[in-house]
Amino acid sequence: MKKLLSIVLVAVMVLALGCTAFADGTEIIYWSMWNEGEPQAEVIAAAAEAYEAETGVHVNIEWKGRDLNTLITAALEAKEDIDLFEDDFTRLGQVNGPYTYDLTEMAEAAGYEGYPVFNNFSIKWAGFLNSIPEQPNVGGVFYDKDAFEAAGIEAVPTTWEEFLDVCAKLKDAGIDPLAQDGAYCNFTFYYQLVRHLGEEGIAELRENGGWAESEGAVAAAQEIIDLVNAGYLAEGAPDEYPASQNKIGLGLAAMVVCADYVTAEVNANTGTEVNWGLFNYPTVEGGVSAASYMGANSLAIPAYSEHAQEAFDFALFLTTGEWGQKLADDCHQIPADPSNECTSLPGAVETLLAADAPMTWCAELNTHPAWQTMKDMFVELFEGKYADGAEFCAAMDALYE
Amino acid sequence: MKKNRTLIFLFMAPTVICLLLMYVYPVIRTVIMSFFHVESLTGSTKDWSFNGLANYFKIMHNAGFITSMKNFLAIWIVGGVFTLALSLLIAVILTSGIRFQGFFRAAIYLPNIVSAVALATMWVQYIFNFDYGLLNQLVTALGFEKVRWLSTDAKLWAMIAAFIYGSIGYYMLIYISGIEGIPTDLYEAATIDGASKSKQFFRITLPLLKGIIKTTITFWTINAATFYLWSKLFSPVQTEGSTIVPVVYLYDTVFGGKGVVERDAGAGAAVGVVLTLIIIAVYIVTEKLLKSSDLEY
Repeated sequence: MKKLLSIVLVAVMVLALGCTAFADGTEIIYWSMWNEGEPQAEVIAAAAEAYEAETGVHVNIEWKGRDLNTLITAALEAKEDIDLFEDDFTRLGQVNGPYTYDLTEMAEAAGYEGYPVFNNFSIKWAGFLNSIPEQPNVGGVFYDKDAFEAAGIEAVPTTWEEFLDVCAKLKDAGIDPLAQDGAYCNFTFYYQLVRHLGEEGIAELRENGGWAESEGAVAAAQEIIDLVNAGYLAEGAPDEYPASQNKIGLGLAAMVVCADYVTAEVNANTGTEVNWGLFNYPTVEGGVSAASYMGANSLAIPAYSEHAQEAFDFALFLTTGEWGQKLADDCHQIPADPSNECTSLPGAVETLLAADAPMTWCAELNTHPAWQTMKDMFVELFEGKYADGAEFCAAMDALYE
Repeated sequence: MKKNRTLIFLFMAPTVICLLLMYVYPVIRTVIMSFFHVESLTGSTKDWSFNGLANYFKIMHNAGFITSMKNFLAIWIVGGVFTLALSLLIAVILTSGIRFQGFFRAAIYLPNIVSAVALATMWVQYIFNFDYGLLNQLVTALGFEKVRWLSTDAKLWAMIAAFIYGSIGYYMLIYISGIEGIPTDLYEAATIDGASKSKQFFRITLPLLKGIIKTTITFWTINAATFYLWSKLFSPVQTEGSTIVPVVYLYDTVFGGKGVVERDAGAGAAVGVVLTLIIIAVYIVTEKLLKSSDLEY
């Protein structure tokens, strides 16, 4: 018994010594929005091991999941022990900017360029470069190329009329044209509104109402109503997320309006590899904007981090070069490094590089006090509850009374 | 024996300190916060600015909060009536000596063991699914057209129905324990006197369960006021008006949401205070209306 006890005590001492030796090395603490087991988490964990082998810096990753975005601000205010974390680049710039590290000098020293659109907005909102994209997103109409081919469609539509022609051809071929989940009705309708009014026009409506007097708003609503009445939505749409978008993977529908993560979601949910394509949301006659949604989950470093350089180096290690490519390939996402290749969605990198001002995620409407009700009304628009665009816009104006 | 006061205080101190720090302090801070403009929940009190009742006026005039309160009332009243009535009915049946009562008790309680996330996902993704859902399979087998169970009009009721399914077992057990505490002599005497089963229920069971009913109403009110998870799972991407409840509104107000960068911890605290007052009011009203039985048994 005494011998056994001695062995255990010696083992504990050795382990303790080992831990002390380990603590002497540099360690960075990384709060991640991914969950263990997700493709992104697996690549990040592997990259962290490779980084440690190369530099000796240990990356201690804490998998916080998607709720990280609600925890992070309080954690930064409380100066929690964090050296690197992820969040939506909009929130990083607009909310967490004051708590984040100015990456400008380190980026210049490392020759980091990234996507100008994200860098510019980071600087605009935070006052300095405060984040590096890890998972860039681009919005638009995602479609099954094979379904288009089966319906004899040779070119992607660029205008609303062409889009309706494409819908008609798909329907004739026995394929439901447009998958639409209720959760994204606001996003699709927002696109339609942006085409007619631009984000500035929508901001004006948000502030003062007057939907019924706005020709663009009435036209946008009417076009959606016509789309629904023509039977161009997938059966059961607007459905409960992700039931409708999954129909593309099941070969029952051809298109969906969303951001590029929809491709990985549908592939994973249905166990298929859809032959994805992307085109910009169609423009409308007399419209004012052809903008497209762009966003990113980005990496940032707390302003108080004592290992900012190591954290920045790891952020670049993960998002550029070999590991950046692996992240893009394994997770079917747009590469965070524009010099890498987008294998899952050809053309996405070029689209992002060419962009100067992204369309926001309904940002001009979702600060309205009645936003929750508005969102339900957008779903109702796709449910066919309004006779025409004028009736819908009158109902919108009623929210301002 | 002489009391050693110092020792008493020493033994009580850890519990009292924990209670003060972890319960009383947050409650007081939340109440104070509700009268200030506070952007961040954990921000310094130096950044707070006195706001009077403005936070309360703000939420009372906010369409999202009003919708969430309407949904809360629907969950509390409709869900409460169905859940408590059904669980009482089942409890009475299962204590009447029917066969396999152990099995039925376990089967009805089972949803409480299953994770609420799994349960809600089953309802959303399978039972209510438009294409292959259980309900639409039944509907089409009966020769009717498929129904969109999760349309904007129906979603709240679908969520309440699913929540009732998940809650009945818990309240059933409470009622069963109450019924089993009533002496059987009373029922035997009533049977000898020729009282029917329904008379026995209304004249013996129900009056003697007043205390239990009060407890279940308070529990249900707390459940409805703190309703969060089911609302989140029935609106998986972003909060939706059809399923928003006060706690979800509070959460979005304090922490922001997808693309929403504005945060208002002061208004969130006001929502918390309003919910607490509702629970206290319901408790007081229930105490007044359902006076405890003075019967001894």
